[in-house]
Amino acid sequence: MNTLLPSSVEPRPLTLAGRGRRLLATLIDMLLVPLLTIVLIMITDVLEDAEDYQDFMWTLWVLLLAILSYLLLNGYTLWRHGQTLGKRLFGIAIYSAAQPAERLSAASLWKLVCIRALFFPLLFLLPLAVVLSPIALIPLVDQLCIFANNRRCLHDYASGTVVVRLPV
Amino acid sequence: MIQRPSAHLYVLLLLTALLVGLQSRPAQADTGCTAAPTPGLNTVYSKSWGIDHRNTRYQPRSTLTAKTAPQLQLKWVYGLAESTPRSYPLITEDTIFVGDGGRGVVALERETGCERWVYEHVGPISSALLHGSIGTREIIIFNDRLQGVFAIDAKNGEFIWHAAVDDEPVPWYSGTPLVTATTVFAPVASLEVVLATNPLYGCCTTSGGMAAFDIATGKKRWYVPTIDAPAQKTHTHWLFVQNYGPSGAPVWGAPSYDETEDRLYFGTGQNYTHPATDTSDAIFALEGSTGNKLWVEQFTTQDVYTAACNIEALNHPNCDTPTGPDVDFGAPTILAHTRGGLQLLIAGQKSAEAHAIDPASGKRIWSTRVGRGGIIGGVHWGLAVNEAENLVFVPISDKEVVGFPAPGTPTPGMYALDLDTGARRWHYSRESRCEREECVFGLSAAPLATNDIVISGSMDGYLEILTADRGKKLWSFDAWRDFDAVNGVPTAGGSFDAHGPMVADDLVVVSAGYGYVGQQRGGNALLVFQVQ
Repeated sequence: MNTLLPSSVEPRPLTLAGRGRRLLATLIDMLLVPLLTIVLIMITDVLEDAEDYQDFMWTLWVLLLAILSYLLLNGYTLWRHGQTLGKRLFGIAIYSAAQPAERLSAASLWKLVCIRALFFPLLFLLPLAVVLSPIALIPLVDQLCIFANNRRCLHDYASGTVVVRLPV
Repeated sequence: MIQRPSAHLYVLLLLTALLVGLQSRPAQADTGCTAAPTPGLNTVYSKSWGIDHRNTRYQPRSTLTAKTAPQLQLKWVYGLAESTPRSYPLITEDTIFVGDGGRGVVALERETGCERWVYEHVGPISSALLHGSIGTREIIIFNDRLQGVFAIDAKNGEFIWHAAVDDEPVPWYSGTPLVTATTVFAPVASLEVVLATNPLYGCCTTSGGMAAFDIATGKKRWYVPTIDAPAQKTHTHWLFVQNYGPSGAPVWGAPSYDETEDRLYFGTGQNYTHPATDTSDAIFALEGSTGNKLWVEQFTTQDVYTAACNIEALNHPNCDTPTGPDVDFGAPTILAHTRGGLQLLIAGQKSAEAHAIDPASGKRIWSTRVGRGGIIGGVHWGLAVNEAENLVFVPISDKEVVGFPAPGTPTPGMYALDLDTGARRWHYSRESRCEREECVFGLSAAPLATNDIVISGSMDGYLEILTADRGKKLWSFDAWRDFDAVNGVPTAGGSFDAHGPMVADDLVVVSAGYGYVGQQRGGNALLVFQVQ
């Protein structure tokens, strides 16, 4: 077990979130966000007419709706608990890694949204690895970093966070 | 403490930046290959996509014959900046102009392949390069598949004008325009055929068409849609999206033009949605100066298809039923003269049929089916004729596409039909080279005829020369390999497709590589052969 806190520190030791839980939580997020985005696209009709494709504004609309979906689904839980919906389901949370271990606290919302969340859409490039597209290596490298001892991905380093298992 | 970002993070960031850098196109190396900047324009070897305005795809200015063809050898290779080149070169006495979708239009010295000038352009150049003139200024016309028609100065690559139709919201400029002394005729297809793959898209409202632009200014003279009736609401599908029809009947190929009669001829593709119209899979005849319709003759009815029909698993809501066979006239029409002096309009269809039509009335004279057909042909990019031999050459792809199988046995290869009767004179059957890997080996690219030979490139990367009278193979070149390019760019050959080979004097010029449709091999090689 990777214990962040020395055994003498009270009250509760936090442990690094398991790789399996993080993977499942991410998969849940990767399912929910596009689903809500599709619903929002259906409601707003931004891709429905030929005129929508006369310029590249439709890509901006889809991007905005995807960001909105992410925030609608995860904004509150990120703000209050440092968790996306997927992470909440699997009992793990994003904490700031900037403090000493015994004083770990929830990561600040702006870092979660403005830095950490930027890596989320890159995950959807992973299937391109099948056709050996170099662009797919960016999320691949990001995710493979989890196999280091501290289980921090590239997006954890960028936002100064660590993902921990919450005590039951 | 939790580990802070350390050196290895910066290494990773560097790696990421490097990988992003890998996405960019290869730089043009400084190879010391230089050429005088001004091209010669005294002799231009083609007037249109089909060599002449009749689209015969017969090159009269050639010394390449059955006797000299076996002595063809690779002269030089130029590395393009794209893996699916879709441009057809323009050749003059000392220059080869080529459209490079990754860079723009490039003027290359014919002897060496060194660059004279580059017109930088961002966008997919998708047509043959065409020669025209505005007064004494000689120009080059080309299509950007998404943006429309461009005119640049042939001497130096300077931009002159850009034209696009505003009659359709998502026009697709796939077909090569035809240039006369006064007018640029531009075929118009529609992006909706692929937009339909989005199940949230309300398919479909647009029509194909033909546009005429003033050659001096690019100003539109007329636009004729292939479907006159505006699309109406038809039904709402299960994702609560509104569908429309009629739609489609795109124009994919260059028109042919009878200068004496001022008549423009072209074919159309299928409808995208029901109700089907009587103008899809049809041949149109228009008056060139006005766009007035002279006649329309349909060859396949009730053909309704979009790319959504290839996505079987979803029971895609943008694939209307009943679904048609998708047998467009993608290949440009040919105005041919028989040995007896009769003028015929020849049209090749993706159904693997060739038709001969009376150009005055649109009445069908003969039809001959020589393959299985399918959505990538049958006849895909074009035909060629040799009027002296009284033959039309019909290349057959017969490629099967995932999600939309065609019934019957594929018979890819080259077929020669008698111009008078459509009777088969000979057949050259292609065999697969692919024992261990899946690949296609038919003929999708347009062929080119000259003297007593016909030249074609196959989807499995062979450029082949056959005798015109018997279809005997004289020479072939395997392009599935790497090349040393004169511009120092890493260069590989691939499938032959699209516009096919061009001939000038004793040169054969062709781009190798086409990864646009599955099972084909991309590549970026512009190959130039010469008789040694």
